[in-house]
Amino acid sequence: MAETVVEPKVKVSLGTPWNVVVHNDPVNLMSYVTMVFQRVFGYSKEKAQQHMLEVHYKGRSIVWTGTRERAEFYVQQLHGYLLLATLEKAE
Amino acid sequence: MLIRRLKENSIELTEIEPIEAELLRKVPSVCDTGGDSRAETRLFSSPADTSERQFLNDWDEYVRPELRHLFLSARKTVEADLENLLDRPGHLGRLIVPRTHGDAWLNTLNQARLVLASKFDFSDEELSMHKVPKSFSRRDLVLLQINFYAAIQERIIDVIES
Repeated sequence: MAETVVEPKVKVSLGTPWNVVVHNDPVNLMSYVTMVFQRVFGYSKEKAQQHMLEVHYKGRSIVWTGTRERAEFYVQQLHGYLLLATLEKAE
Repeated sequence: MLIRRLKENSIELTEIEPIEAELLRKVPSVCDTGGDSRAETRLFSSPADTSERQFLNDWDEYVRPELRHLFLSARKTVEADLENLLDRPGHLGRLIVPRTHGDAWLNTLNQARLVLASKFDFSDEELSMHKVPKSFSRRDLVLLQINFYAAIQERIIDVIES
């Protein structure tokens, strides 16, 4: 007799995603900010430059979105590089 | 002053003019905020808005001391490297920095520039200005100092990333 496997109903809560935001800063060099994005997030040079330019021209860029714990970790890393970074709830 | 990679593991600063040597030697001390609240606020900026009260409290208690330690450690690395700066009178200076210290240099130069910019309250426009002033006030000289450190950072990034 074939065994019937009943999948338990699991209530999965994905939680609210959080954004890591980097704000414009006239002191940090564009090349430095690009390098930091590559190092912290493992982004390609092109993607890192895209975010850097967004920070430069728009004043801020959401550089990463995900779990709260990871967002806190990234914000701490970015502060270690002296970038202006904050975390905020993703809308 | 020339900055280039020397073999695989070193960064070489050569042909250092006396004035450049003096500015380099000042880097670690410039990073000292001296309790200036603007500089402190910039070095240790807020990681979230005030609605995240618990997070901000934890940050102040656990993360901020770590950051302070990180910044101080970078400064000490640069300070130790600068003790090897050779600049006899009448000769241009030379300094060899281990490539592994490149990040400490970038961090310390950044601290220095942020502290100066905060203390002297430079605007975005002033910081992106490249024209030579007609007279040199203290502020003008500090702006030159900030840009001098920026130029060194650019070269170190080139060397590290190449």
